[in-house]
Amino acid sequence: MTASEMRRAKRHLETTRKMKDMLPRFFMRALERRFSNEPLAWCMVGVPPELLKAFDLLWEWPENFGTICASRLVAPDFIKAAEGDGYSPELCTYVTNTMGYCKLWKERGEPPEESPIPGGMGNPSMLLGSGFICEPRYKWFQAIATRYLDVPVYSSDPLAPPWDVDPHDPRIAGHYKALLREDLQGQVEFLERHTGKKLDLDLLREILALSHKALAYWRDTLYLRKAIPCPMGATDYFSAIIPQMYMVGEQEAVDFYREIYHEVKDRVERKIGIVEEEKYRLIWFGLPPWFNLGFFNYLESLGAVVAIESTYNVGDWFEVDLDDPLEAIVERTWRRAVKMHEYGTEVMPELCNPAVFGGFVGSRMLEEVVREYSLNGAIMHLTRSCRAVSFGEVHTRNRLAELGVPSLIFESDMADPRLWSDAQIKTRVHAFIETMAGRSPAGS
Amino acid sequence: MSELATVARAAELNAQKEAHVQELRRESGRPVIGYLCCFAPPEMIRVAGAIPYRITGRPGEPTSEADAYMEPYGCSYVRNIFAQALKGRLDFLDGLVISHSCDMVQRLYGIWTYYRPLPYSRLFNVPHQVTPQAERFFMRELLFFKESLEQFTGQEITKERLAEEIALSNRIRARIRELYRLRLEHPPLIRGSEMLELLLAGGWLPPEEFLKLLEDALEEIGKKRAAQGPQRPRVLVWGSLLDDVAFYRMIEEAGADVVADDNCIGFRVFEKDIPLSEDLVEALKDHYFINFQCPRTDRGPGRARFDYIIQRAQEYNVDGVIGYIISFCDPHKFDYPDLRDYLRESGFPMLLIDDNYSFAPAGAIQTRLQAFVELLKSGRALSS
Repeated sequence: MTASEMRRAKRHLETTRKMKDMLPRFFMRALERRFSNEPLAWCMVGVPPELLKAFDLLWEWPENFGTICASRLVAPDFIKAAEGDGYSPELCTYVTNTMGYCKLWKERGEPPEESPIPGGMGNPSMLLGSGFICEPRYKWFQAIATRYLDVPVYSSDPLAPPWDVDPHDPRIAGHYKALLREDLQGQVEFLERHTGKKLDLDLLREILALSHKALAYWRDTLYLRKAIPCPMGATDYFSAIIPQMYMVGEQEAVDFYREIYHEVKDRVERKIGIVEEEKYRLIWFGLPPWFNLGFFNYLESLGAVVAIESTYNVGDWFEVDLDDPLEAIVERTWRRAVKMHEYGTEVMPELCNPAVFGGFVGSRMLEEVVREYSLNGAIMHLTRSCRAVSFGEVHTRNRLAELGVPSLIFESDMADPRLWSDAQIKTRVHAFIETMAGRSPAGS
Repeated sequence: MSELATVARAAELNAQKEAHVQELRRESGRPVIGYLCCFAPPEMIRVAGAIPYRITGRPGEPTSEADAYMEPYGCSYVRNIFAQALKGRLDFLDGLVISHSCDMVQRLYGIWTYYRPLPYSRLFNVPHQVTPQAERFFMRELLFFKESLEQFTGQEITKERLAEEIALSNRIRARIRELYRLRLEHPPLIRGSEMLELLLAGGWLPPEEFLKLLEDALEEIGKKRAAQGPQRPRVLVWGSLLDDVAFYRMIEEAGADVVADDNCIGFRVFEKDIPLSEDLVEALKDHYFINFQCPRTDRGPGRARFDYIIQRAQEYNVDGVIGYIISFCDPHKFDYPDLRDYLRESGFPMLLIDDNYSFAPAGAIQTRLQAFVELLKSGRALSS
């Protein structure tokens, strides 16, 4: 890998380009609050951000910090520091990025200057983990709180039914929903204890309503990508998830997603694509190489457009009755799990993410997606350090092959550019493009 | 080969265990249910009228058969197990029970049952934390498991029969603890590789026969062995699953004695009895969930979760600890840096062997083990 091989993403939408101004404003607001010593939580995707907002809690996402460090090519500095402490290079690089950051902070007594965000991540007063998606997430905050930060931890511990158990059986639903409900209650009690505030259910209801409104615009935007030519690509997609992570339940986020929806709708009506000649329409599986989002622009230069991604998928399951807002969070989580289950969760049963940014996993969903998005092929990023998202791609490739859709699986990582092999990956992409050439979209 | 006839017998039986189990299946007419990991009680499988069979891998064997279904970046043990299934070596199984111990094993369940369905299969779901809600979930999961077994075999799991079975398995546990106590001697009266050979037989032999094997071993050791001979460095082995004696033999060949362990086929499972309380489901929960010290369960931050290992190292008077971790085994890899440091603070050096479930290249591993043993020898010489 050389740094020159890494390319920042070129975005196609005006709305996502505007994020350049919006996000620094947000980070500065957060920094001001940090300086006034407000409680700060580090949390994981899977923790309902609406709940944190209802406690008026300041929060940061170490996973997202990992993606920012990756995109600025500083993640290896932190990852190497963690490896020096004995953390294996096989561990999730979002984790080792954070561990290295903590290690350097502890050694130097101040946030590492390598941080790509002004002031870095702040000094947390609590860690809010979540076991949604993968098991390293239980171990991650446990290890941080053991080794670097002596702060209280609450990790939520949801489980989803295996693929061969019927989630429509009321006893099974009761079994799993009881765990989700009791776990959420535990999370609320933890937050009440450590913020000294009582949860305001009316406020939570309002925040959920705004959050779901933003998500509805986002979901509808993604459905617009079924159009030919595809009006929006992966670089805009992977950028546009950020406001919902940091500005959830705020009117600004609703405005952002409404604007993106109208922009994309306008492009569909005017048949504006993201490349001059759209030759291939792809589905992307796995986490993106955050250090090289320009890879998607490289695909576009070959006439290949990513029309849908498997990760950070939104779906429909947030449209729930908000009368009891805590039950609404349980219900949307469970609905997601059931929906995923109906689509076939034989390889990734654990994805039932209440933060509404999960992945889709169902092998039966593929048929629908291939048809509706008129796909010619699939590109799967096998991330060495994130087996949770990539283990199952071979099975997905097998299922896609049954539908006549070819797949390319290539190996690298989401945060560590040292695992990117530019020439090798591009050679494989070229060979793959040739296999798609001449084939009509499977959905047409 | 061990000079203990009982251990040699166990090795012979283990080498032919698939054939023995198939014979047992034919003679008894009972179905064989294979299982992985230690959360779903094999006692329940037995009482339901089936034969529990702990599935083991074949370290070092090629796993290319798995490539068509699984990524190369996956636990090499999981790939090895699935390759056994694809090679047809597990075709005699009527059922499969996999506990959700880790992500990879959980996904093995889905892939296995999708491509090679069995008459009976069950994923036993296990929470990752010890909280009141997790305990309640585990108990409900036990009841669902019981129900599914009863439906498959048509045999009710009665409280009386379950109590009898637990009592029998507790007698086995007591004998195993007696054998472990023989390792407190210096030199130990039973070697680590011998102990593991016996324990592996417990993964498939009918419990009555396994109990007899353990009693025979105790009797034979009582007659033949005394704490005499060279006093070699004593080590505790911690880490991922070891279901083959080869690694312990490598340590023994390097000049040390494995006198204690903390891994899945070892003291973790046998150190306590299952309490024969009024509520047996609760007792099974306490034993298989609360007390089973696998790092996949998050028991909160801090040093306390490692103290039992340090206490065991002190009790068995070890000179050092050898960690064995299979590639991509996240739960153990996360714990290693903290465990290493806490052990060091307590005066126990640690060596980590990171392996792809092949014990290869043997020469390189052997060299590292020998260097570590030399270090331990010099430490012992200094402290004596």
